[in-house]
Amino acid sequence: MLIPRRVKHRKQHHPKRGGAAKGGTTVAFGDYGLQALEPAYVTNRQIESARIAMTRYMKRGGKVWINIYPDRPLTKKPAETRMGSGKGSPEWWVANVKPGRMMFELSGVSEDVAREAMRLAMHKLPMKCRFVAREGGDF
Amino acid sequence: MADNELRLVAETRSQFGKGAARRIRRDHKIPAVLYGHGSEPVHLTLPGHETMLALKQVNALLTIELDGKDQLALAKDVQRDPIKPIIEHVDLVVVRRGEKVTVDVPVHVEGEAAPETVVTVENASLQVEAEATHIPESFTVSVEGLEAGSQILAKQVELPSGTTLVADEELLVVNVTAQVTQEALDAELEEAEAEAGIEHDESEAEAAEGESDAEGEGESTEDAASDES
Repeated sequence: MLIPRRVKHRKQHHPKRGGAAKGGTTVAFGDYGLQALEPAYVTNRQIESARIAMTRYMKRGGKVWINIYPDRPLTKKPAETRMGSGKGSPEWWVANVKPGRMMFELSGVSEDVAREAMRLAMHKLPMKCRFVAREGGDF
Repeated sequence: MADNELRLVAETRSQFGKGAARRIRRDHKIPAVLYGHGSEPVHLTLPGHETMLALKQVNALLTIELDGKDQLALAKDVQRDPIKPIIEHVDLVVVRRGEKVTVDVPVHVEGEAAPETVVTVENASLQVEAEATHIPESFTVSVEGLEAGSQILAKQVELPSGTTLVADEELLVVNVTAQVTQEALDAELEEAEAEAGIEHDESEAEAAEGESDAEGEGESTEDAASDES
């Protein structure tokens, strides 16, 4: 799973959720992409789960690119704990995904296979997404 | 070759800033700027639908009709909304007939490589120099029968006459690699699933039962705590 090797601050504020993606909004590496349509925190488990779903469906053909990285820690206080006594312990690593971000890309498979692989991956992710092809993707 | 010139009737604009730009977009038009050849930049308004159709063509040579005069231009930069199908702004660069321009031309792959291989396009476009009126629409690269380990470099891509390569000659365009074996793929996925704690349906059902038991225990401890208080 994707986890940063070293971070400057172990406990951080929650990342800002407003606005749209400033970059990484087009299919840059592969032929097909999965684009976020809503803001969300995507955990490293969700990223890995989506990757596994796509790879399992595509079998041996094709290549997957992951364009997001879970570099922000989210903390959680233990259950049944009174308020105060400091910030909770890091629980999740998340990528702060903004609408428009091309999260995954695929190549080396037909469009039908890519579409189905992306559909399976969408079910592992916490936001609405859409399938984008390089040709015709630039509306 | 992009021979058919696309004509757009433009208007000059004198109001700037996001307010004016948003008013223009509300009228289904696109704010644009035209510059190049040392001339002062000219701020324009382009018709929305016609511009969108014209820019579907890669490296489209546009004829901008402004105040009764025609001006050849290429789209240098197109700003698009990341979600909605809207063009927000277009940068146009002035070109002259016969002038050589540097553009990125897409590479298309055709044919089937040898079995048990994966074809990856490492660079989907090549930077070339071509005459503004004769810009190639795309380059075609054949991977027919290529074995694993084969590579197609930029210098191996056939360019039409009058077009010269600007990109590095050794730039990797297409890479043909061997497919991963079924055993290696299964092992990798099982390891990844184990690390991520992903379980299959049967074990998921068991886990759900375990969770419900744990919740029941949690409730009982809460009750105990409330009784004590």
